[in-house]
Amino acid sequence: MLRNYLKMALKVLARRKFFTFISLFGISITLLVLLVATAMLDQVFAPQQPETRADRTLGIYQVTLRGENSTFNGFAGYGLLDRVVRGLPEELPAVEKVSIFTTPGNAVSYVGGQKIESSLKRTDGAYWQILDFSFVEGGPFTEEDEANARFVAVINESTRDRFFGKVPAVGRTLEADGQRFRVVGVVRDVPILRLVAYSEIWVPNSTAKSRTYRKEYLGNFMAAFLARSRTDFPRIKGAVERRFRLAEEHIPDRQMFQKLDGGADTFFEAVSRVIFGEGEESRPELLWALFLGLAVLFMILPSVNLVNINLSRILDRASEIGVRKAFGASSRTLVGQFVVENVVLTLLGGAIGLVLAAAVLAGLNASGLIAYADLRLNFRVFLEGLGLALFFGLFSGVYPAWKMSRLHPVQALRGRTL
Amino acid sequence: MMRHLLKLVWNRKRANALILLEIFFTFLVVFGVGTLGLYFWDNWRRPLGFDWENVWAVRVNMQAASDDTFTPEQVETSARLVREVGALEPVEAVAGAMMEPFSFGSFRSSLEVNGRRVLMDLNEVTESFADVMRTEVVRGRWFQPADAALSWRPAVIDEDLARAAWGDEDPLGKRLGKPDPQDPGPETRVIGVVRDFRHHGDLSGPELFVFYPKHLGNPKHRPPQVLLVRVHPGTPAAFEEELTRRMQSVARDWSFEIVPLEQTRTSAIRRTLTPLIVGGIVAFFLLLMVALGLLGVLWQNLLQRTREIGLRRAIGASRREVHRQIILEQLLLTTLGVLLGAVVVIQLPVLDVFGSALRPEVFTSGLILAMVSMYLLSAVCALYPSTLASRVHPAEALRYE
Repeated sequence: MLRNYLKMALKVLARRKFFTFISLFGISITLLVLLVATAMLDQVFAPQQPETRADRTLGIYQVTLRGENSTFNGFAGYGLLDRVVRGLPEELPAVEKVSIFTTPGNAVSYVGGQKIESSLKRTDGAYWQILDFSFVEGGPFTEEDEANARFVAVINESTRDRFFGKVPAVGRTLEADGQRFRVVGVVRDVPILRLVAYSEIWVPNSTAKSRTYRKEYLGNFMAAFLARSRTDFPRIKGAVERRFRLAEEHIPDRQMFQKLDGGADTFFEAVSRVIFGEGEESRPELLWALFLGLAVLFMILPSVNLVNINLSRILDRASEIGVRKAFGASSRTLVGQFVVENVVLTLLGGAIGLVLAAAVLAGLNASGLIAYADLRLNFRVFLEGLGLALFFGLFSGVYPAWKMSRLHPVQALRGRTL
Repeated sequence: MMRHLLKLVWNRKRANALILLEIFFTFLVVFGVGTLGLYFWDNWRRPLGFDWENVWAVRVNMQAASDDTFTPEQVETSARLVREVGALEPVEAVAGAMMEPFSFGSFRSSLEVNGRRVLMDLNEVTESFADVMRTEVVRGRWFQPADAALSWRPAVIDEDLARAAWGDEDPLGKRLGKPDPQDPGPETRVIGVVRDFRHHGDLSGPELFVFYPKHLGNPKHRPPQVLLVRVHPGTPAAFEEELTRRMQSVARDWSFEIVPLEQTRTSAIRRTLTPLIVGGIVAFFLLLMVALGLLGVLWQNLLQRTREIGLRRAIGASRREVHRQIILEQLLLTTLGVLLGAVVVIQLPVLDVFGSALRPEVFTSGLILAMVSMYLLSAVCALYPSTLASRVHPAEALRYE
């Protein structure tokens, strides 16, 4: 029976090629846009290498200083973060590791008269245990390297190729921003969209050109905590919040600013804090609502279009339904047929959309438009999108068919519409 | 005629409601993307107010504990740095500033001017800034070294700000308020007006801009965060290395980053254009989808009305009249959808959602563009089906009965 339905569905779709094309076009393009957008969001937020442990990582990403007339929104300094995180793992066993590191800065090198620009991040030994880099050669630098201010560096593959060609680089030295570093490890390229992990050269914090950074209240530093499990998040957040309150007393310009906002967030919470919470509190639910709202806005038009097309198709087939009814087909059989037809159409559109999206993502990854992009398909979103297309398809294709199948055959035969 | 058409449309209200909905949403999409495109096009045509060619920006990182702390030694080093760079052979002129044009960040302050609060962008620059950036002074004068001795603070504003604050009045000598009215510091007076200055680059909207002076070697002024270096045309990029080495020898533990303004300009343009292009591509596919959908639905609707059309033909309507009926019906439907959309869209200026960023002429052109596109779209979609309909032979059509 199902085989018959399938055969029939394909025949019907082939008969009205233009309509089939429009439906397929709509479904596949909509899914394509949806998939590309979520691939980007995933690259920013989802746990992906090297942030495979992002689901149990919290961070202090930005802080806000607030006073009567002024607010300052920016990155914390090493001094402030050190005050907040020092001794935290000892006080709270739920915290496995803590790391303090800079945002990536620009470092210029000249190799044989050629200018090379790289992103340079300064960090500590624990960073390499919180994140899960895959090393092509060598290994990370350690807490001991950081304590002794050794001029060692981890670089990514592309940087190695730019400086040394495609040969092993461990043990060789490179110059960046006027300082010389010995390469101890080479890692796979990290996408620029991964805020915590991204850089091209990583060197110890202590190799900074002067020691003043250790006292900075504001600067260009972030901190990350690795929790033993997600269930520990509330306790860690609470502890960090208490330490923030204590750090308020050390605000350098107490006349201008009296309040220090910020806290341990997941990256998604941190973004929502900047966009919606004015730095004061994180509002992840609003950020979710924003993304969902955008998706819904975008999908309204294709949905209306799909419904429109489907309705037209069904009306066109009023007489066919009449004939089948006259020969004794039940409403159930007819509905079954239309369901199969719609499922086939949606799956076909979904498959085309998937192939297109894979091609677009591969193109984006290869084009270098987004540095080291590693965009991947999100199959969960694909299934959800497909489900939605199916819903609208069934709602607009099967419901009218079912109503029509309940008409008297004679009326249906005469082509009477609903 | 119109009433009759309305009746025809009303009689098929169920099918038409969906088409109407589709036209309505499409109108909104076209209006949104079109207005955004027009907005940037309008900005692109306006002059920048400075000349970025052959200017390099040197970002200076003094490794200070915070952005506002500096020592007299650093002030001294910074002044020496500017002197030494200016003495290099390929360099025409050097200026110091708080930030370079096209930079991503901005400094804004909301000041009381002429009894109102005005939000403006600001930059602190040294005296040679106007020479390096070739900013044209249209009224009054630019900063001079002697200004350091003034008991009040001089400011140079751009034409936009002069117009926004004082209209046609002469702004020279007028007072600019302070961010905090209780601040006991010296008052600020306007000494000059420069051409419309658009710090954020070719695609940015109108900016009200004010310059404050920064005096090199003055221990009260923070040393410049950025040096702007105008080099002779044709200076090779290799000079960057020499420049860096020279600066490093003056200030050993500072960091320098050299970026030609051409490069910051390109990245500023790309930053704005990329989302617009992505949005444009998505909108294009949406429109294509809608166009095909409308075509299909109209076609289908007409097939259903074969009898009706046949009847009209049988009692003497000419092909042209049938043609006209179908297209007019579609245009009527479009008008309804567009009117609905226009009512929604007009709320933007009425409720002042975008403020002065949405210039009236941009809004009007966007509205007209969207309307024209919708009419074109539906006319094109109705053309083929109506041709098919007009070809219906009366006898054949009536046989359907």
